[in-house]
Amino acid sequence: MGDALATQREGTMLKGFGGSSLRVNLRTGQVQRRPLDPAFARAWLGGRGYVCKVLYDEVPRDADPLGPLNRLVVSPGVMSGNFGPTGSKCCFGAVSPLTGAHGDSTVGGHFGPELKFAGYDLIVFEEIAQGPVYLFVDDDRVELRDASKYWGKGTIEAEEMLKHDLGEDFEIAAIGPAGESMVTFACIGHDFGRQAGRCGVGAVMGSKRLKAIAVRGTRSVPIHDLPGLKELTMGVIKRTSTHPNMAPWQKFGTAMFVGWSNEHGVYPTHNFQTTYFEPYAGIDGQPLVDKLLVSNKACSGCWMNCGKYARVTLPEKPTIHVEGPEYETGSLCGGNCGFDKIEEVAYVNWVCDQTGIDTMSGGGFVAFGMECYEKGFITREQLEGHELRWGSVDDFEHFVDMIVHRRGIGDWFARGIVYAAGQIGHDSIRFTAQVKGQGMSGYDGRGAPAMLLSYMTADIGAHHNRSWTITMDEDLGKAVIKGKAKVVVYLQHIRPFFDVVSCCRLFWGEVDVTVEEHIEAIRLMTGWSDFTLEEAMRLSDRLWNLNRAHFLERNGGPGRKHDYPPARFYEEAVPSGPGKGARLTMEDLDVMLDEYYAARGWSRDGNPSREILEDLGLPETATRLETLDLLGPLMAPLPEVRGERYKPKAF
Amino acid sequence: MKIVLKAGGMLADYLKPDPVTHAREVEAGEGQTLRQILESIGVPPGHVAMAFVDSNIVHLLYVPKEGEVVTLRPPVQGG
Repeated sequence: MGDALATQREGTMLKGFGGSSLRVNLRTGQVQRRPLDPAFARAWLGGRGYVCKVLYDEVPRDADPLGPLNRLVVSPGVMSGNFGPTGSKCCFGAVSPLTGAHGDSTVGGHFGPELKFAGYDLIVFEEIAQGPVYLFVDDDRVELRDASKYWGKGTIEAEEMLKHDLGEDFEIAAIGPAGESMVTFACIGHDFGRQAGRCGVGAVMGSKRLKAIAVRGTRSVPIHDLPGLKELTMGVIKRTSTHPNMAPWQKFGTAMFVGWSNEHGVYPTHNFQTTYFEPYAGIDGQPLVDKLLVSNKACSGCWMNCGKYARVTLPEKPTIHVEGPEYETGSLCGGNCGFDKIEEVAYVNWVCDQTGIDTMSGGGFVAFGMECYEKGFITREQLEGHELRWGSVDDFEHFVDMIVHRRGIGDWFARGIVYAAGQIGHDSIRFTAQVKGQGMSGYDGRGAPAMLLSYMTADIGAHHNRSWTITMDEDLGKAVIKGKAKVVVYLQHIRPFFDVVSCCRLFWGEVDVTVEEHIEAIRLMTGWSDFTLEEAMRLSDRLWNLNRAHFLERNGGPGRKHDYPPARFYEEAVPSGPGKGARLTMEDLDVMLDEYYAARGWSRDGNPSREILEDLGLPETATRLETLDLLGPLMAPLPEVRGERYKPKAF
Repeated sequence: MKIVLKAGGMLADYLKPDPVTHAREVEAGEGQTLRQILESIGVPPGHVAMAFVDSNIVHLLYVPKEGEVVTLRPPVQGG
């Protein structure tokens, strides 16, 4: 197989791209390399764009996410691996076992650039291997290899072993035992602590018996105007290096926001029962830096170094090294589970990383288990004689072990929080923190209505990276419901754009690198002199609608019924802290959804209309939806531009 | 007394610092907290995620000293 592929590189002369795609049939072992179609490259750009298109076109609507007909799609976008600002990302996608529809998750580090250096913009994995395998990519040499010796190993351990066996210069993406046992919120780990964490992409990888992908690329990516790109990038580096936000990012990373979130009444505490965690100071960025930090850690080509590599020693536990905790882990595996010491949060972070579960869904789902235990809905007997107490590292670790190895009620949780709630009963679904099965990110939407709307309408379930609005909620008023939906739509187009082109969103949000500078970088990389921000936003709009169609085709309609959060988020008021009294009603949610659907050109039921789909060049999708009676009538005139920028500097 | 405030991102909309140095010198009363100083010049304290002096986190109740440089930063845009 490797010999057959070790021929002259087939890539096109596309500038800015690796030039080739790989299609790997895991059942037959066949690997096909194809040149990247220039029209496809321009239309979908890469990363999340390719993932979305491949999943929609190729996965049958009744295919089991953990079965042979699902695809695992890997794609670094156009900016990854190029000498542009912060192009370090790689997107992993599959039909998600959590949401039952399109799923994607993007990881930083070095994997995406390395794939580009090897000449690849896209890998599509089909079917299921007979036994454990890993994909070996060394420039043109591409082989499926036996992975028996790595199977069963933790994510970090497997990465260490593969680097030891193949060489330090190979970049590894691997799953842990959770992925192998198809835990629906299993992630894909890379670079000793970074993850494509969401949507259960690790479970799909495990279902295919694909333990890892190891890649080494020794070529460079052809650039249309290298001097111009160098001038732009060096200017951005020089300007942002002295930006006042840079030094705090370099020192603390995202961990510094635990305190802010807590003080602003949005910090999830004890499974989102409240939004204020009294002993937050013990798990904020300062103790991370003061007590645990070994070194800063950066993604490929980055000068921010926001990753924090930590060393943790806890009594009666092994000394471990972990990247993090980042803010999301510091919230969902922090106060949300009742941990008040940074060592504890960092340790359970490592437990999740090594076993290969997403710290966000993982922390959120364990916290749900803790509340169930507190309420007496889960018994000690069901926990194999253990407990599941707030703030107990031992309990957390044992429960994760039950989940990962699917023992007893651990199997319920491995199938997802909605399934677990159904088995537990007691109407516990009402206090699950999820939308569409995806665990909520580390912000409670009761104190930030547009944030809740962002969760409700996100294409992959309750994830913050599609739209994050808390600053706007602060600015316009936390109790204000109307007038925010258009901004959510805008953010759902601009923020996922960074996952399409595979660069870091933080430089845009944090140190004032403009979207226009990213667009110019893409022009210089590709030679597409007519590429505009409008084209990029139109692609984002197209992807959003395609994913909505994908979700409806697989889960049924109307869309609106899938968009409501659990009852806690519209029935219960926040009981304590700065957010005390914050409460939303079902009427509030309906007002926001009405505004949102109108802004998107959808029906009142939340189904895309033929008008919007045809406007975006998706007439076949409109016909597919019509066949399934999922096409909705416009509820308002089709907006010429979907979404509205709130405040240029803020977003 | 005078202190120097530095900020970028959305906070620059309120602070209006020098576009190159991101800094603005402001007048502050003796004993005034950072929160009081920010309110007096129209920077909403709710938009200040945290503040730093010599790269260490200080809170809005911090009382700056003469000539001190206080770096303000807005909240994370969602990670």
